[in-house]
Amino acid sequence: MQASQEEPIVSKQGVCRPQLLVDVPRGPSSSLGMLGERSASTKGVNARFNLELRRSELRPRRRGDESEGTIQQCDCKIEVIGPRIQSGESVRTSRPNSSLPWIAFPPDATRFAGRLRETPSPSNTYAMMVDQCRRHCTRSRPNWFFANRFPAASMLLCIIGCHLFVVFVPSPRVVSACMNEDSSDAPRPISLVNDVVPVLTKSGCNAGTCHAKAGNGQNGFQLSLLGFEPKEDFSHMVLEGRGRRLSLAAPEQSLLLLKATGTVSHGGGAKIPVDSDRYRTLLEWIRQGAHDDMATAPKLLSLEVHPNKGSLAVGGEQQLKAIAKYSNQTAIDVTPLALFESNDSAMAVVSESGLVRILDIPGKASIMVRYQGNVAVFQASVPQGTPVALVPPSKNFVDDHVFENLRELGIPPSPVCDDSTFLRRVSLDIAGRLPSDNELQAFLNDPSDHKRDDAMERLLQSSEYADFFANKWTAMLKNRRDDASDITSNFAFYSWVRDSLLANKPYDQMVRELLAATGTVIANPPVAWYKRVKEPKQQLEDVAQLFLGVRMQCAQCHHHPFERWSQDDYYSLAAFFSQVGRKPTATRGEDMIFHKRGMAGAANLKTGVTLRPAPLGESTIAIAPDTDPRLKLADWMAAPNNPFFAKALVNRYWKHFFRRGLIEPEDDIRDSNPPSNPELLAALEKHFIESHYDLKELVRVLVRSNTYQLSSIPNEHNARDEQNYSRYYPRRLQAEVLLDAIDDFAMTRTDFPNLPSGTRAIALPDNSYNNASPFLKVFGRPENESVCECERIQTSSLAQSLHLMNAGDVKGKLSNGNGRAELLAKSDRPMQDRVVELYRVAFSRQPSAEELTTAVSYLNEPRFDAQGNPVDAGKSLRENLHDLLWALINTKEFLFNH
Amino acid sequence: MSDPFYASSCQHAQSLPSHLGAGNGPCCGPQAFGHAGRRGFLRMGLGGFASLSLPGLFRLQSALASDGQKSPREKTAIIMVWKPGGCSHIDTYDPKPDATSEYRGPFSTIATKVPGLQFTELLPRQAAIADKFTVLRSMRQTAPGHPAGSMQMLSGDPDTRDKPKPKYPDWMTVTNFLRSQQEARTNPLPRYVGINPPLEYNGPAYLGDMYSPFTVMGDPNAPNFSVPNIGLSDASEVQRLDRRSGLRQKLDTLTRAFDRQGELGALDQFEQQAISLLTSPATKEAFDLTKEDDRTRDRYGRNAWGQQLLMARRLVEAGVEVLTTSLSGQLCGRVGNWDDHAVNHHVFDALRFRAAAYDQAVTALIEDIYERGLDKRVLVVVTGEFGRTPKIEYSPSTGEGNASAPAGTIQPGRDHWPRAFSNVWAGGGIRTGQVIGATDKRGEDPIERTCSAGDFLATIYHHLGIDASTTFIKDFNGRPTPIVDHGKPIPELIG
Repeated sequence: MQASQEEPIVSKQGVCRPQLLVDVPRGPSSSLGMLGERSASTKGVNARFNLELRRSELRPRRRGDESEGTIQQCDCKIEVIGPRIQSGESVRTSRPNSSLPWIAFPPDATRFAGRLRETPSPSNTYAMMVDQCRRHCTRSRPNWFFANRFPAASMLLCIIGCHLFVVFVPSPRVVSACMNEDSSDAPRPISLVNDVVPVLTKSGCNAGTCHAKAGNGQNGFQLSLLGFEPKEDFSHMVLEGRGRRLSLAAPEQSLLLLKATGTVSHGGGAKIPVDSDRYRTLLEWIRQGAHDDMATAPKLLSLEVHPNKGSLAVGGEQQLKAIAKYSNQTAIDVTPLALFESNDSAMAVVSESGLVRILDIPGKASIMVRYQGNVAVFQASVPQGTPVALVPPSKNFVDDHVFENLRELGIPPSPVCDDSTFLRRVSLDIAGRLPSDNELQAFLNDPSDHKRDDAMERLLQSSEYADFFANKWTAMLKNRRDDASDITSNFAFYSWVRDSLLANKPYDQMVRELLAATGTVIANPPVAWYKRVKEPKQQLEDVAQLFLGVRMQCAQCHHHPFERWSQDDYYSLAAFFSQVGRKPTATRGEDMIFHKRGMAGAANLKTGVTLRPAPLGESTIAIAPDTDPRLKLADWMAAPNNPFFAKALVNRYWKHFFRRGLIEPEDDIRDSNPPSNPELLAALEKHFIESHYDLKELVRVLVRSNTYQLSSIPNEHNARDEQNYSRYYPRRLQAEVLLDAIDDFAMTRTDFPNLPSGTRAIALPDNSYNNASPFLKVFGRPENESVCECERIQTSSLAQSLHLMNAGDVKGKLSNGNGRAELLAKSDRPMQDRVVELYRVAFSRQPSAEELTTAVSYLNEPRFDAQGNPVDAGKSLRENLHDLLWALINTKEFLFNH
Repeated sequence: MSDPFYASSCQHAQSLPSHLGAGNGPCCGPQAFGHAGRRGFLRMGLGGFASLSLPGLFRLQSALASDGQKSPREKTAIIMVWKPGGCSHIDTYDPKPDATSEYRGPFSTIATKVPGLQFTELLPRQAAIADKFTVLRSMRQTAPGHPAGSMQMLSGDPDTRDKPKPKYPDWMTVTNFLRSQQEARTNPLPRYVGINPPLEYNGPAYLGDMYSPFTVMGDPNAPNFSVPNIGLSDASEVQRLDRRSGLRQKLDTLTRAFDRQGELGALDQFEQQAISLLTSPATKEAFDLTKEDDRTRDRYGRNAWGQQLLMARRLVEAGVEVLTTSLSGQLCGRVGNWDDHAVNHHVFDALRFRAAAYDQAVTALIEDIYERGLDKRVLVVVTGEFGRTPKIEYSPSTGEGNASAPAGTIQPGRDHWPRAFSNVWAGGGIRTGQVIGATDKRGEDPIERTCSAGDFLATIYHHLGIDASTTFIKDFNGRPTPIVDHGKPIPELIG
């Protein structure tokens, strides 16, 4: 093979785009006859040709240095012009057009130029040939190919209809020159797949909001989403709409162009300027006959971005270059047609043409580059460059990686937080509750230097740990009450999750029990998941997103826009769930789940081909009809080298404790969404696997680190850091935790239907209690409908503020006749003590002197009734206490875990 | 079966063509109106206020920095009057006097102010102002059940099967969400208010409850009616809130340490807004019907429906942008809604029973919108989820009550009919006095200008300045989802 590995990158605007692999095998000379049967293979293309060339069909017209001739065979006419080819060379070309067989030239072939009867002249061969092509083939497209890596000569090919013209020129430069010179007149062949569709994508035509089929397709003109299906695009553009979308007779009048340029009224406005390369590409394609070249177009193999990483200063810029590599071993600069997108537009922005501009937040920014279903990522490290003199001591590998990253970026971390803050933080994060006054007392008085680890351990062993995390998991596992009769199965499922967490069942085992559950809900509670998640599609989507961190939903109907997942990948994964058998039980809505014997398989929605089970990104695995495919899936997931399973979990837990996932969103793991600290993620993954998927151990590693224990108060250098964990990022208490915290603080409780009095909000088994508690709803407790934790609303809202300030349930708690306010009102302790108690319970700390003074003097203020008469001291104090409680729960310090 | 509402059994569903997805179980009527209603005034706290998102805030700040101008389109508003259960089109806006007695019903037709347009005798007042609104007679959707039908009309979900909860957000929450993204709300009134709104078969789906309506429940005609959380009732309470927030301010020390933190900053803003809402006399006044003169109140009708629509007009005038209210409850008859199967109601008695209040309230609202110059900004839409079967059915009543004979008595009824029904459009700058579309001689199917639920929604969105064909919202999985599944604004209803 002579075709070069390092094909020069040529501009897409230029016409010198190699489209056809030409290789020149060296070897003994071959005769025409020998060429009759030969199979040729190039990357990705296998074809056989059968060409019988008979010498009699060579009709030499002239003798001498320049000779011409015509080869005719069947309906294929080959016309060749060129200099003499060196003896010992043969030329093969890959099949340029489906209507043409493969052709080859004998080593001793001289030049043939049959059709160029008029004025064949070596000096203007090219231009003349173009002219000829036009004349002879007015109704066919000319397709120009050119390869410039010949040992001795370059070859130019032109295919028009059934005619192939070949020009050999002495050097690549000559070809280049003549083609460029001639570019306006005789442009290169435009490929539907590699030229037209990218233009549509870049111009946004096939975006969801415009003409993408997935988004309905405006005005009945539907294109495949982001051009993943050129075949459909061809039929939509060329064949449908009664052919009015393209005008071959008057290409400029094609509706496609008139609309795109806004010449005629277009809902989407003018998308493609008339004087743009994109316009010219479309126009030329239509001029050339608007052919499809799905079968022949070189296949896009990969996309690269240059550079793919770099260190950029705040405010810095970098122009990216997108390089597409094709099956014909060419590499094209596709920057003008690639799509650029910043993963975090607060950190970096990127222009349409690929110019990256770094904003003022230090850290890791990434830019996703997309071109025709391929994705590449540019990662910029944006150092702040502040000298990092002091870093807390490293307690484990978490600290190693985080602090190393901070040093590299030049972001000094905040110091380690004080004991009070730590205890409040860790209690909220592990057990979902505030520390009690006694706990706080004991902790603060504990002289031990490992008291933080001890506190963490106590919390991990508490039943509240299981409550809190069961609450987290059951929401994602959709433990949902749709019908009153669901109560039994929901309670059973909740208990199974909670007990598993309490017993610290290894994570892989938990997942296996869930995935491969069989039987009835009561006998085997994880079966309840199959009650909620009924369809194989839903099952694979949930499993992929929840346990693998991969969002497959898109690939059900079209290629994933940011990912490598195709519909085949989707249905191969669905196949694992194809043998889930169901049999109704006596309980309404509940099925017994069993393995239905048979070959697992799922049909691709588009192709109709039944696919056998294949794990994500891997090849099909053979599963005997007697084996439950779900077990195989579980095996694959829990294998130590699984690229997703452990990563998804550690990232999810990292987010639980650090507010922001190393990969964000936590369940959207893909090549185009790189982690902010890949080394740390890898180390966590490794540790988790080595601990045999021990969830509590994972919590220990996270919480023990000084990274977790950093103060949330920014120093003068790290306030802008949002992703490197140079401080603890505060977060609003989630709905259940906040309700419990208010109850603890006010010494009240919230009653929930069908549950024992005193059940905490954090221990609610399903979503049905949201209806009973407006508080939970307003503060965003999820309805357990989505596998995504984003269903829980953590942002603040006006409704929440109003609720805390004025809602009946909150007001009732603060002034409850058996509550803390009442107790304090009746107490004869000094006012100061009472304030201290409130502070310790609400904020897990002592009040400052100033706060103490403010609060005490407020409590001592006399009150007057509407008529201006003083009210009695007891009532006055009570009112003031209610006010103080109200004020404290309405502070950020109470509402946030900090 | 103590609640007669659940007692309805609907073999009628089988009478619908199978392609409409009918026949999958007995109909339970629109449950929302059975149990969720009238229990309390304020459901679900204060959802719907939270129309101020963080990006919205920032945008507001920058907008205020430049200039506060907004295009008039953004200020448009909609009042949707919802007839839960579905109103019989053939007995109201689309009479078929020439149909046989199996179809046409007992009501005679009357002329309207628009030559050639006829209503039944149930709507004399609307007939007299028929030049002020437009009737769309060729509405059609494909879901035969209350849940799916409501979801088609309100959220554009094409699914014909009933499901307990909507998969897509309804147009009201979508509007609230989109407008919140565009601009922060400076008006202390919530953007989206429901006065006894349709509750069960609609909702915010993946947008989250923060975009749900501020909901006012109860009978605004009742003497003791009040709206909680809007304007504290007495001055001492306001004073106390001021005192409390003063104290809070002093004790809220954490904020100062984090002054760069966006989330804490946003919370501060919400708190200020909440206080202004609680203490502002203007917000209180907007809900206070006693501020209307007696003649106006009388004009709407001194009953729940009349006063609901009056409050709707008042609120929209004060700056509420999305307002829904459903005409349900006692004024509907025994089962509290428009679901006039023979098992529930004597359909003709029921229509007559509710006609006066309905006709008066809707007429007053439409006239008032024009008289007060709100007719460009405010679009009024009166509709239900479907019509009723043109062919009358007879079944035994399941209980005695208003508009229903004693249990066991055979009485006439009409069942669900999504294939053709009518709705009413006024204001919104549209050309009125039109009639759009027509149904066949029995009122069974549209014969011209068939309009789908998608068209219905696209028309509503168009008035709100939202291009339904290009607006997508990301669902829980981050997939951009169109707000309308196929549909174009109905050209005759574009202002």
